[in-house]
Amino acid sequence: MKVAEKRLRQLGNRMLQELKRGNSPYIEIPVRALGNVYFDSERRLLQLGEKSGRRYFLNLAHAKKFMQTLLVASYCLELIQKGKHASLRDVYYALKRNLPNSKEVTFQDQSESNPVIEDLEVSLNLLREELHISADRKGYLIGNIVLRERVVDETFEIDASQLGTGGWGIPSNVEEIEFLDIQADYVLVIETGAMFERLAEERFWKKNNCLMVATKGQPSRGTRRLIHRLYYEANLPVYVFTDGDPYGWYIYSVIKQGSINLAYLSEKLGTPDAKFLGVTMSDVDKYNLHGQVHKLKEGDIKRAKELKDYPWFKNEEWQREINLMLEKKIRIEQQAFSSKSLEYVAEVYLPEKIEKEDFLP
Amino acid sequence: MALADELFREFRSMSVSEFFRKNAAMLGYTGRIRSLTTIVHEGVTNAIDAGEECGKLPNVYIRIENLGDGGRYRITIEDNASGIPEKYIPEVFGKMLAGSKAHRNMQSRGQQGLGISGAVLFCQTSSGKPVRVISSTGEKGIIAEVMIDVEKNKGKVSKKEEFDPKGWMGTRVEMEAKGVSYNRSKYGAFNYLRLTSLANPHVQIELIEPDGTKVLFERVTEELPKPPKEVKPHPYGITADDLLRLAREKGGERKSLKTILVKELSRFSDKRVRELKEKMALILLSRKLETQIEDLDKYLSEIQDEEEKRRIKKIYSGFLSQAAKILRKEARYLNWEEADLIVNAFSRMKLLAPPTEGLSPIGEENISRTMKAVLNPEFVACVTRPPKTYRGGIPFQVEVGIAYGGQVDEEGIEVFRFANRTPLLFDRGGCAITEAVKSIDWKRYGIDPNKDKVALLVNIVSVHIPYTSTGKQAIADVPEISKEIRLAVMEVARKLMRYVKRKKREMEKEAKMKALLKYVPEVAKAMSRLTGASEEEIETELSELISKKYLSSEDFSEEEREEAIKKEEKVILISNGGGLDEGSRKEAETTRE
Ligand SMILES: Nc1ncnc2c1ncn2[C@@H]1O[C@H](COP(=O)(O)OP(=O)(O)O)[C@@H](O)[C@H]1O
Ligand SMILES: [Mg+2]
Repeated sequence: MKVAEKRLRQLGNRMLQELKRGNSPYIEIPVRALGNVYFDSERRLLQLGEKSGRRYFLNLAHAKKFMQTLLVASYCLELIQKGKHASLRDVYYALKRNLPNSKEVTFQDQSESNPVIEDLEVSLNLLREELHISADRKGYLIGNIVLRERVVDETFEIDASQLGTGGWGIPSNVEEIEFLDIQADYVLVIETGAMFERLAEERFWKKNNCLMVATKGQPSRGTRRLIHRLYYEANLPVYVFTDGDPYGWYIYSVIKQGSINLAYLSEKLGTPDAKFLGVTMSDVDKYNLHGQVHKLKEGDIKRAKELKDYPWFKNEEWQREINLMLEKKIRIEQQAFSSKSLEYVAEVYLPEKIEKEDFLP
Repeated sequence: MALADELFREFRSMSVSEFFRKNAAMLGYTGRIRSLTTIVHEGVTNAIDAGEECGKLPNVYIRIENLGDGGRYRITIEDNASGIPEKYIPEVFGKMLAGSKAHRNMQSRGQQGLGISGAVLFCQTSSGKPVRVISSTGEKGIIAEVMIDVEKNKGKVSKKEEFDPKGWMGTRVEMEAKGVSYNRSKYGAFNYLRLTSLANPHVQIELIEPDGTKVLFERVTEELPKPPKEVKPHPYGITADDLLRLAREKGGERKSLKTILVKELSRFSDKRVRELKEKMALILLSRKLETQIEDLDKYLSEIQDEEEKRRIKKIYSGFLSQAAKILRKEARYLNWEEADLIVNAFSRMKLLAPPTEGLSPIGEENISRTMKAVLNPEFVACVTRPPKTYRGGIPFQVEVGIAYGGQVDEEGIEVFRFANRTPLLFDRGGCAITEAVKSIDWKRYGIDPNKDKVALLVNIVSVHIPYTSTGKQAIADVPEISKEIRLAVMEVARKLMRYVKRKKREMEKEAKMKALLKYVPEVAKAMSRLTGASEEEIETELSELISKKYLSSEDFSEEEREEAIKKEEKVILISNGGGLDEGSRKEAETTRE
């Protein structure tokens, strides 16, 4: 029996026991809020605190959510037993229905089912992918890597070097992806799809013997998990290349330390050893990009100030970078290098940075 | 001829009947509907009074016939009481103010001996017809037609006939009035009888309406009210006028005033005569010296001049013997000034409150029964307050019933006012009952005074009801009475609040249970899938869990809330001015003795 199945059954049996004793069944769920998240400086990861709450059937304020959680739990068990995967939206539709003799529905919309799924993940200490629930594919992978993907009862082998400029769309569940063969020195994580394609067209990965991953904005959980596995299982250093703005830097922060909302998954998703390649504020001077900068907006400034307070940015290098940004009140995009030439990033900027190991921690 | 003689040639003394013929409105004969209601009222109150007096459960039969001819009606009222002896018939029906037992100083519906003769007067002046009285005391039956000789204020029997009653006892009065009208409105005779039935659960009332409809207001208790006892008037409640009348009525056979006072007043014994004399003398002294003296010794001790002291003492002892002389004299020669002095002196004495056991309220249980029967409400609460006195000497008692929801007619708070169980239909605005009810902050009791269906029965019983006018439709605003009404209304409002709250809580509980129960099937299905246990069993157990939680829990905060409200009420009473408490303070003092 799979771990997920076992834990779901345990959950059910515990509740049944409570009921038999004449008590209200409940589900214990760790609190997922800022107040219950802390930075573990030793492991360099955001971690979930000890606080947890109980969701009781007999408590009128909990009852509906209790039912919803149980609906999701029993549906996940069904998925696992059938070996099928459902998207977040599938789950919502599969479970949305009218309650008997009532106008009330089990789930009003997806914004009600999504958090319940997360509740169940924390409560069971499982990934939603392990519960056979998937999210949209978002990131891409390209490079000298051969993978094996299982689809229900078939397996497919994928060679990510044979997929042209598009690369392989990273599924939300990468748990059962097997790495068959990897020929690469590092992983280059790229924020924008446009930059990824640019570099793919230059066949940067081939010329520099690396794997390229596009996050296309904030990385999905599958993408983060894949980066994590490439670092820990294939021992590949991870370099992150984002826009030189607070949003890009925050993407780096999430890849590295995890996010508040998914702090309970940091251990599975975070890659604390990832390095930041660029774009940095110092690069503006170094590569003379003064003509390509944009002014920071109010929101950016606020965000930058927040970043400055993050424990993992409390080092000399980052403080200097953030201060520079706040001083000059500017931001710079990955594609700013195109002002020099289309190939400049692939031929000059990236090789130079990697060569000199000009990274931020 | 002197001018005055000329001017006074037209002067004629007016008899009582003449006075009321010209001022019929004062007796309640105004408007077509009200006039008919008043006639019915006079007949019915007498019928019930008479029944109670002879210890019989009253059966009252009323028939109202429309004779056409511009509002000509015949009103027949029949009772099953003792009947009226032949020789009293002209007195009762033909003489105003004379024929009554109301002087007995006991609780009764009638009070002035103005009632039925007033109706006869109104009938004969409007229709020209005499009243037909059929009465039997058991052995002998009399049929008589009576008219009032208005100038002489005397009954005139025009036709008289004997008949064999064959065991029937009672009185049947047939009156004919013109310019009156009948309907079922608030002010009509129908509603009057409905309310009479409400306050008199021991009475059976049968009404035949003009269109032949027979209405029966049924008796809901077989128990006669405790007969009211005659209570001697209390010195505090008496006026100079009352005292004069008492002295004249009881003062025959050379009885001294002192003897009359001791014999005819309650709580005034031989032992208190000395004190009365002293108080009288003190009042006279105060007048003479033009200063208010409460305590003679204290007053004297403040005077330095020994000569002056002696002089005052001498005047005082003079007044003392004057007072003694007044009390010694024959009662029937008492004059108004002396009576006023005595009443004044009474008010300065500390006397025990009068006995109150003579009163006969409806009683909580009976109010509850009758309100349920007549109004068919969802909830009823009643309170009969302990007897109190007003003006220090007149016993009265307030009782209030509250009915809520169900078939109570109107939204908002409807007040049924009663005095000695007689409905008060008119002059609502000027009545102390209306005012007292209005002053209650209903929201405090969780009641919406505009939306909730609430009926209040307020009955005031007393030996002497302080009406605002001869129409006897509104209670005067006497502080002691108003306060009692408020306290009684608050008490039932509290009971209602408790009910409404409990009901609301029950409803909330039910809603909560329902809310939880609707999740049961889904939860059971999911739990069964996760565990493999029987879905049905889980469903049963979950449902049981819910009922266990909601059917057992008790809430104790309710009593605390009530305590809090009681405290607030005290504050209101105090803040509503010392006037309200005047009476009870006096009473507290007097009972301490
Ligand atoms: N139906 C009756 N049966 C017996 N006695 C009656 C009846 N109607 C009137 N009386 C007597 O006549 C008296 C006068 O009645 P009324 O004029 O109505 O004055 P009041 O009711 O104010 O005393 C009553 O006090 C009562 O003693
Ligand atoms: Mg009368």
